[in-house]
Amino acid sequence: MANNGPDTTQLQDDWQKLSNQYWNAWSDATRKAFSVMPDAAASDKAPWHEGLEQWSRMFAASQSQGAQSELVERMLAGARSYFALLQSVAEQGGEGKADPQAWARALRESFNFPGADAAMIDNPLARAMREIAGQGAKGFEQMMEGLQPAMQEARALLDMPAFGYAREHQEHYQRMAKAWLDYQHETNRYNALIARASRRAFEVFEDKLAERGEPGRQIDSVRGLYDLWVDAAEDAYAEVALSDEFRDVYGALVNAQMRVRQNLQREVERVAVDLGMPTRTEIDSIGKRLHELHRDAKNRAESLPDLAAEVAALRAEVERLKAGGADRKQVRRTPRKSAKTAAKE
Amino acid sequence: MEPVRIDPKRALDDALRAQQKIAASFRTLREVEDVDYGATDKEAIYQEDKVVVYRYKGKGKPTAKAPLLICYALVNRPYMVDLQEDRSLVKNLLALGEDVYIIDWGYPDGADRWLTLDDYINGYIRRCVDAVAKHAGVKKINLLGICEGGAFSLCFASLYRDKLQNLITMVTPVDFHTKDNMLSHWTRGMDVDLFVDTLGNVPADLMNWCYLTLKPVRLNQQKYVAMLDILDDKVEMENFLRMEKWIFDSPDQAGEAFRQFIRDFYQGNKLVKGGLEIGGKPINLKNITIPVLNIFAEQDHLVPPSASRPLGEHVGTKDYTQLAFKGGHIGIYVSGRAQREVPPAIHEWLAKRTG
Repeated sequence: MANNGPDTTQLQDDWQKLSNQYWNAWSDATRKAFSVMPDAAASDKAPWHEGLEQWSRMFAASQSQGAQSELVERMLAGARSYFALLQSVAEQGGEGKADPQAWARALRESFNFPGADAAMIDNPLARAMREIAGQGAKGFEQMMEGLQPAMQEARALLDMPAFGYAREHQEHYQRMAKAWLDYQHETNRYNALIARASRRAFEVFEDKLAERGEPGRQIDSVRGLYDLWVDAAEDAYAEVALSDEFRDVYGALVNAQMRVRQNLQREVERVAVDLGMPTRTEIDSIGKRLHELHRDAKNRAESLPDLAAEVAALRAEVERLKAGGADRKQVRRTPRKSAKTAAKE
Repeated sequence: MEPVRIDPKRALDDALRAQQKIAASFRTLREVEDVDYGATDKEAIYQEDKVVVYRYKGKGKPTAKAPLLICYALVNRPYMVDLQEDRSLVKNLLALGEDVYIIDWGYPDGADRWLTLDDYINGYIRRCVDAVAKHAGVKKINLLGICEGGAFSLCFASLYRDKLQNLITMVTPVDFHTKDNMLSHWTRGMDVDLFVDTLGNVPADLMNWCYLTLKPVRLNQQKYVAMLDILDDKVEMENFLRMEKWIFDSPDQAGEAFRQFIRDFYQGNKLVKGGLEIGGKPINLKNITIPVLNIFAEQDHLVPPSASRPLGEHVGTKDYTQLAFKGGHIGIYVSGRAQREVPPAIHEWLAKRTG
């Protein structure tokens, strides 16, 4: 069976039947959950994947989900690759491919599903990175997009000598533009390594699949296939991410981003000074002084009980000495008095 | 033999089941309660700036002779150790008779930008330890440091061993330069001075982004694909959401302390190489002569076992015990296996040494 390959006409018919069956069941589920009918036209395209897209739209339209909508978005983003794989398996037939390379090809094609970002073609690791959507990274990316026009303008000034009244400003813009170009360069190097990890992931996937050719180790579910792919992708990523080259590129990227941020901060500070507003540098300076005072006050407060004890001990000693002196005086006086008294007597 | 044999009908069934689960999630997500955390009552016994020391209230009177203070990492919230009723290291320790306290570092803001490791270790931790000892009416206490908090606890034990009876470290990095330590590997090329001078406090989102990129596909896709299975289960979804909340409910990092931690621990590896000073006081792990229990997780991707294991070679104590847990960095607190294995292991080890 494996050598003959599947009957493609039969496969097409089966696929069509399964798609219809799937679409009907999905429509039914949608109707029950949302009391609406999904877009019927979508079923002509890629129903397995489109089903997810429609869920995404319905959840977004439903205002009642509140804070959970981000979770749903994350889930659907993660599920897209899985459903793409499901569709691929059902479409191409789940049996009869003895060659791990053929499976790797099918997997690669499945990830390039309709509507997928063209920049992420054949690069599933980059897609996974993009789906993180952490505000720390996203915020900076958005800020950079907003600055593009200004940076383009600054780029033109990059090689011109600075002179005259505004030469300091011009030099600052030049530094800013250079930092931005440097950041772009480092981002490209980083992205190239991620793309390399993605390519390597398919190779590792083939190796892992080859091991599954042994009796009793075959994969019999799409989820099993997906999980194997994840293992392969993580192994490949770790290979690249633990390399010296990645370490250098990662460090350079972080440093380049910090230089861009720092230049932007200086520009914001310059504007703040012009407007008579407090700057970050001033606030930091005040904060540092306050912190030192706070620490000093704590240390002094902590040493107070010791000081108090020391003072108390000293006082006690003084008292003792005083008392001792009085006694000695007393002792000295008494014999003299006694002598005088004795003489009188 | 073909490596894959998937019946297309089974694939269809899987797809339909997943779609039905998504449909059900519309109802489940409306029904889930606002996820809260913390299974055990607690009272504040000491407060300083944003730092609070809590004492957990068990159902009975503690039978342990010395209190146990948990020193958590700065990078996450400490309620991981008492996440929910059936996933609580604290609850299980209390049930075994331990008297459990914890340091809550709070959420540093701009006012904490200049906090140093000296402030944290010679300042906060020392005063928290004193406060617990005073509250419990003892001279020495047991300290349990977790992750970064474990590294801090090692420094503390090196400087103030007369205040401690026993030291426990959990998922604690000691040797930061082992080959499989991805996080450490990435920090090596970073200009940490430029980083902190630019950012001030380090935003939690940036830290989380970094952690998620350690395993990008597993943590950003596979986890949510696996969530498909529980979308119609309210209780499981609440557990999932509680964990999500913990993962992303992260404090910003005080800039100066972060600078020192990256420079001296991650980049300089001074905890094992030597030359580490906290507030001008030299740290030498050989000074740690009290009993030490070191627990690490075999599948830890944040602090690989290779980073924790070497502790025994570097401490001065003759009473060193090591425990490898089958699980990950988070599973060591919240998995079913963790509930069964970790609290009894800690309790028995302490009981043999303090009663």
